[in-house]
Amino acid sequence: MQILKKTELAALKKAQELGAEKVIELLDKKGLVGRGGASFPTGKKWRFAFDAKADEKFVICNADEGEPGTFKDKFILENNPETLIEGILIASYVVGAKRAFIYLRGEYDYLKGNIEKVIKSVIKRSRLDVSVEIVVGAGSYVCGEETAIIKSIEGFRGQPYYKPPFPPVSGLWGKPTIINNVETLTCAAQAVLFDDWNSSLRLFSVSGCVDNPGVFELPVSVRLSKVLELAKPRGKLKALFFGCFGGCMPYVDMEMTPENVCGQDCVHGSCSVIVVDDSRSIVDLCYVIAKFFAYESCGKCTPCREGTVRVLFLMKKLKDMKATKEDLALLEELAHHIKNTSLCGLGQSATNHIITGLKHFREDFEERIL
Amino acid sequence: MSDLVLNILRKVQDRDGFVSEDALKRLSKDLKIPVSRLYGVASFYAMLHTKEQGRNIIELCGSPSCYLNDGFDVEKLLEKEVGVNFGQTSKDGKISLFKTSCIGCCDQAPAMLLNGKPVVNLTKTKVREIIKKCRS
Repeated sequence: MQILKKTELAALKKAQELGAEKVIELLDKKGLVGRGGASFPTGKKWRFAFDAKADEKFVICNADEGEPGTFKDKFILENNPETLIEGILIASYVVGAKRAFIYLRGEYDYLKGNIEKVIKSVIKRSRLDVSVEIVVGAGSYVCGEETAIIKSIEGFRGQPYYKPPFPPVSGLWGKPTIINNVETLTCAAQAVLFDDWNSSLRLFSVSGCVDNPGVFELPVSVRLSKVLELAKPRGKLKALFFGCFGGCMPYVDMEMTPENVCGQDCVHGSCSVIVVDDSRSIVDLCYVIAKFFAYESCGKCTPCREGTVRVLFLMKKLKDMKATKEDLALLEELAHHIKNTSLCGLGQSATNHIITGLKHFREDFEERIL
Repeated sequence: MSDLVLNILRKVQDRDGFVSEDALKRLSKDLKIPVSRLYGVASFYAMLHTKEQGRNIIELCGSPSCYLNDGFDVEKLLEKEVGVNFGQTSKDGKISLFKTSCIGCCDQAPAMLLNGKPVVNLTKTKVREIIKKCRS
């Protein structure tokens, strides 16, 4: 696997030889984009922070991998933390940051000891004057959102805020801040060092009704049939969910590019695929996901705070076969309102499962009506 | 490292088992941060507890992947074996039950965290053994 290749501090050395601007150009040329879900060009993000004038800058590694069905960052944290730390040091060197953070989700606290050891050893060998501190989160999905991470590290409730200003211009404590995902920073080190680094490879987390769940490194344009061949579906295939936030679709053997997934009204995100067999009702899955969003809404904006709770109420009625036709119509209307009017990405995707569920599997919902 | 509020609160919890009102008041003085803000932070996060908890904390994963691989209703079994509902602590003070959104063990579902460490591929026998161990 390309993601497991070690850079052994040679990537940092090469970055220092090239100088900050050339590293940014190199990342642009190699086509590295963010792997946290938004696919923003990494070089561009770094350039914003590089250009920003400030007495202090920060780098944050987003290790708050909270999307249900996603476990590829954990795979890197466990299997190639050295290269990740080197990626963090390269980012710090490029933008001129002396202090970097790893925002590690609370559920991965047990990985902290080993990561700390690796940080110590890599920094010692790099002879760079940069500190890398681990901040352990405490169980909050929304803290994977970059502005919420900032608030959380600053010691406030981890609630997102309106952008702009974007973090590379004004982020942690009002200073220019790069926030990159674990996979992105690991790739950054590898992209700098290896001439044959392949930008099209992605880590797919596949789980659900499969006999061989796991993390698979595949080209972004891989056919869905190939992904499933590796994961070995159990039973007859019915649907795929892209985490909790990405919505669902029936099986179509298409190339898994973000554009194609988007064509099914779903969100590709960070390549998590949850496989569902035909013994399941989409309503039951949507109920599980509705519980998740009602629980994880941070409470800041009204559509998400109130809406997700109402959605859960209506989904429970549906699940228990107590909902009317009017309830279903209300659920659909509410789902669109929440999507269109919420403040951050969480609220805006909090009803994708219902919108796409109704689009592709309406009969499952109608079956449960009184 | 210890100047960050979240890290400090976690440390307090590691020491005391939860973040008490007294601890928040003391921290407020030390850090010169209003106690209301500290309480706001402590109560925001699912894994920070402002009330005393059991000696062992079980956090059951509620992700769709765990749901799809749960052939025996692990939720009900846990409630039955511990004798309390989720969000509560057993009378002997030995076990607190919580649900959590996803612990990233989707490839080893169903899974849960026991005192912060993952226990994966849960079966009825495994669950019963764990509860027994927590009680001893």
